[in-house]
Amino acid sequence: MSRILDIKNLSIDFTAYGQTRRVLNDVNMYVGQGERVSLIGQSGSGKTVTMRTIIGTLPMPPGKVESGSINYDGQSLLDLNVQERNRLKGTGISIVLQDPMLSFNPVLTIKRQMDDIVRYSDIRMGRYRNKSDREAHLMDTLRKVRLEEGSRILNSYPMMLSGGMRQRVLIGMALLNRPKLLIADEPGTALDVTTQAEILQLINILVAEEGLSLLLITHNLGVVREMADRVYVMERGQIVETGTRDEIFEKPEHDYTHKLMSAVPILYGSKVKTMEHEGLKPTIEINHVSKDFETRGGWLNRVTGDFRAVNDVSLTIQQGDIFGIAGESGSGKTTMAKLILGLTKPTEGQISIYGRPISEFAGTQEFRKLIQIVYQNPGSSLNPRRSIADQLAVPLKFTGHNKAQIKTRVGELLELVDLPQDYASMYPHELSGGQKQRVAIARALSVNPKILVLDEPTSALDVLVQSTVIDLLHRLRSEFNLTYVFISHDLSLMRNFCNRVAVMLRGNVVEEGRVADIFDAPSHAYTRALLSAIPVISDEEEASKPKLKNEERDAVLATSTALEV
Amino acid sequence: MFSYLIRRALTLLLVLLGLAILIFIIARIVPGDPARIALGPLATAEQVAEMRQEMGLDDSFFMQLWSYLSGLAQGDLGKSLLTSRPVMDDILGALPATFELVLFTIILQVVISIPLGVIAAIYRNTWVDNLLRIVSLIGVVTPGFVLAIILQLVAAYYLGFLPVTGRLEGSIDFSADITGLLLIDGTLMGRFDVILDAMRHLILPALALAAAGIGQVMRITRTAMIEVSSRDFVEASRAYGIPERVVTFRYMLRVASVAPLTILGLEFASLIGNAFIVEFVFSWPGIASYGVRTILQKDLNAVIGVVLVSGVFFVVANLTIDMLLGLLDPRHRLRAERDS
Repeated sequence: MSRILDIKNLSIDFTAYGQTRRVLNDVNMYVGQGERVSLIGQSGSGKTVTMRTIIGTLPMPPGKVESGSINYDGQSLLDLNVQERNRLKGTGISIVLQDPMLSFNPVLTIKRQMDDIVRYSDIRMGRYRNKSDREAHLMDTLRKVRLEEGSRILNSYPMMLSGGMRQRVLIGMALLNRPKLLIADEPGTALDVTTQAEILQLINILVAEEGLSLLLITHNLGVVREMADRVYVMERGQIVETGTRDEIFEKPEHDYTHKLMSAVPILYGSKVKTMEHEGLKPTIEINHVSKDFETRGGWLNRVTGDFRAVNDVSLTIQQGDIFGIAGESGSGKTTMAKLILGLTKPTEGQISIYGRPISEFAGTQEFRKLIQIVYQNPGSSLNPRRSIADQLAVPLKFTGHNKAQIKTRVGELLELVDLPQDYASMYPHELSGGQKQRVAIARALSVNPKILVLDEPTSALDVLVQSTVIDLLHRLRSEFNLTYVFISHDLSLMRNFCNRVAVMLRGNVVEEGRVADIFDAPSHAYTRALLSAIPVISDEEEASKPKLKNEERDAVLATSTALEV
Repeated sequence: MFSYLIRRALTLLLVLLGLAILIFIIARIVPGDPARIALGPLATAEQVAEMRQEMGLDDSFFMQLWSYLSGLAQGDLGKSLLTSRPVMDDILGALPATFELVLFTIILQVVISIPLGVIAAIYRNTWVDNLLRIVSLIGVVTPGFVLAIILQLVAAYYLGFLPVTGRLEGSIDFSADITGLLLIDGTLMGRFDVILDAMRHLILPALALAAAGIGQVMRITRTAMIEVSSRDFVEASRAYGIPERVVTFRYMLRVASVAPLTILGLEFASLIGNAFIVEFVFSWPGIASYGVRTILQKDLNAVIGVVLVSGVFFVVANLTIDMLLGLLDPRHRLRAERDS
């Protein structure tokens, strides 16, 4: 098999503030003609630097190629002059970036953005096509990515399309100039799982149809298993292991690969951890709760209608439960969290905590001491300008502790979440993502709450870090008899972390019960559709996923909730 | 979009009404009897009383407010004590000069500050960026009148290649009857000598007035460009082979221009305030000089008129900026459409 891309002994240094750091160290990898190759590793491992060096968008300086070569289709990329290099952009090598919203210019129409790509490449290649020819080409390309309403899409702005459509258009943009090598950076991972499954399938089909070679950059091992023929594992700028997909998944050799594999939450099979707990004391009782949001508009901003975010939900969460609320974007799971925290009032129905309706005491100090929240992204839930000690002190100040008490309590809290004492004087940017999330957990625990609402607490973290945070949460729960409400879209994680789960669709709870029951025998078609769409990492899991007829799945997804974000 | 604009225009009318009432109240609170001021210290008590009656000062507050507002609705701002002419006529006579100065200033601000901001962003943290940083800082911290005097001294007095004061040389025989703006009327009449001379007169006061805004908008453009340059779509457009200049101006600047434009709209308020002083220094026959003279004379009708006119200026400028933002950023427009 001839090699379309061949990287040899590539080392890259980064210089910042006079300090030089090696970000890629002696990297060797290749992509064969028509092959699908995957590069996996945690954030900061050097995957993105590799991608940008290949495509030619790595800023130099601060980057500097120390040694090595990149061969693409018989040309040595690093020896080309600027014009020759630019000729290959989009026409030889093209990319699909992770986030389908951010990858578009928000103020230009899709047509303008796609047409620019065609027009400027024509200029560089010395070709000419008139406007209608170019537009016909855009329509053809959109049909390739299975988008039928070409002219409507072309005249839209990115914000007017759904996430799945945007991702398709983005793939179309990458294919406009018929590249030979497609580099995909975490394709579809910013989307809901059902949409992601469709996107991955589409890329697989396109690779075959268009005769593309694919370099897939990802940290999601499930995606790798569905998309790659061969795999490279990268750790701290080095390739630590390589092999065919089956070799890597069945008998990984390097420690790091092992660790990565074992940190992935398993959906089915013997390695699944089942969290057993039968609570007997109702802690949160949700009684026929609905929540409407007013939509406003017109003269003087009148109320023009209602949008029902949560519809007649009844749930009972027992003492000690880790209760999962699952759902895709727009399903109403975040509104549920706000209702439970008393941050918004239900339109109908009532929520009680330990038998007391929260409408009676929401907003009081007593209520705040009872229930706390850990947010999704510790990078934005922590104040970047305050030291860790200051942040931990905030809830304590408002619950009447004096200075000395606060100081000892901050020490205790850090110890609780396994952080060294000297972190108290540090600032959030000095901490890693996992450490920041530990601080956020410590802050939530500072007033000794009985209930924690966890809003996707690990979705911003790498899988290895995720598993340590999950272990910590387990430990804290048994140590302090906590009850967790866990909001997430990650069903694999829920399977291993929660004891009960409720699945939400368009504001309704479609299914609720013990985790093992729901996952082994899902009764609602939507739950089955969700489970069958999750990329898993072993054949055993694949075989145990619920089988869903195509018509059945289409019927559920046609009415899917995915809001236009 | 259209209904949104009408709605915005109506809200702005409300703002102006509020301003009119407020300024009327303030004018009534200031100590001093307007009738006495109008007649001078030598007038007898009977004359003053007669004048008070004539001016309606003996009516109740609400009657006065009513007659003031209904006059306003008909374009009647009362008579100026200083010039004994209707305030409206005085203002309309002086307005074009100010309008021309302010418009020219804004154009100057846009064409200087935005390109410099882009350059500073492209060459960030190099000597170019540092130099521009110093220039913009000087622009921001130097008060308009100081700059006005320095410019006047250096460019006009010592070097002598630009006129010191005024709007047009006395030797040129021209009256701007169409729009009142010399540059536009000069163009319409084909009088190049007028255009050139008006430009020579405009450049110094406009520069003095523009400096603070230039500094500020330049910095904001730079920050916005740097912020935008790290977005994914910039990397994507480069990777798809779109040339760098197109990426910079079509892709980045359009997204980045929202913040500087908003600032320009707000800057407008201080622009009018500064214009009072700069016009004075350059003996510019605009509304500001008129405003300063009438304030000193406690010519209340005229002061109210001047304040109202600058209010209208401000409100119209911000409406224009809003429309521009809608043109540049579809999100702004779509949101507006959805809300209406």
